[in-house]
Amino acid sequence: MDSLIPFTTSGSLVDCVDRKMLVVLRDGRKLQGVLRSYDQFANLVLEDTVERIYHQDVFAEAWRGLFLIRGENVVLLGEIDLDQEDEVPLRQVEWTVLEPYHKQDVANKKKREDVKSQVLYEQKGFCKEGGEGDGY
Amino acid sequence: MDASSSGIQEPFDLIRLSLSERVFVKLRGDRELTGVLHAYDGHMNLILSDVEETIMIVDQVEGAPEGHATVNVAKRKMEMLFVRGDGVILVSPPSRT
Amino acid sequence: MLIFSVFKTLTDQTVSVELKNDLSITGTLKSVDQFLNIRLDNIKVQDEARHPHMMAVKNCFIRGSVVRYVQLPAEHVDTQLLEDATRRETAVQKR
Repeated sequence: MDSLIPFTTSGSLVDCVDRKMLVVLRDGRKLQGVLRSYDQFANLVLEDTVERIYHQDVFAEAWRGLFLIRGENVVLLGEIDLDQEDEVPLRQVEWTVLEPYHKQDVANKKKREDVKSQVLYEQKGFCKEGGEGDGY
Repeated sequence: MDASSSGIQEPFDLIRLSLSERVFVKLRGDRELTGVLHAYDGHMNLILSDVEETIMIVDQVEGAPEGHATVNVAKRKMEMLFVRGDGVILVSPPSRT
Repeated sequence: MLIFSVFKTLTDQTVSVELKNDLSITGTLKSVDQFLNIRLDNIKVQDEARHPHMMAVKNCFIRGSVVRYVQLPAEHVDTQLLEDATRRETAVQKR
């Protein structure tokens, strides 16, 4: 018989500790690091963290180190399957090479979203989904 | 509809009347739903069945930057749906057109 | 607590979580908490090419506040029970 899973934030995260995790933040950043600690607010300590940016079938990494992340900024936490990680069909390049493309992607997306929400506000009475810093 | 005689005292009482009825829900961003209301709570979290979702799509015309963009729709059906309350703008009986 | 209870009864079922950024993740509901944070196992991401960062991820924890919808298996939801529970829960709040 399965033991009763504690239906708590802690219960959901306990087997992620000391594992390599993907963290997606509300500003759109994707971090990968080893989860060392968490609490009931999903505040996280992430060690040996790298930030990854993606553009089409290419990615780049930048070393960031030790993070304490405030839980309210977390979108999702993903357990990285170390076997599957080797099979990901993406090419790695230098951060400085990819960064301008990534920044352009982000700027284009924001512009599209701004135009869209303005049109929907004027024509259909919708208000914006997210607030400041919701770029995910 | 005489509100005072049916004991409606606060907005949630109105929603209560719509339980097991079809409602129209407008969400933040670009979505509207109709569905049969089965549950709600104080956060306006909802559980709906037999849902039809309408997604607004804005076609941006490159030529005229401040020009008129057209709004098209895409529809989707879902059998049973939980809707998070912080995305809800309004809940109402479906429009009678 | 109502919705939290509903999710608790749906553990081990397949659900589809749609986030506010349009990312859709299907998986087995393993856990939920009072904030409606969701733990999904064995996930499949819709439109994977648009979300390459998710490619090597099998299980995930999703913060409740970023969820737009959760599609539930209709056959495991008792709508009559839900409506009765809702009437009871909202009646209690009035006191």
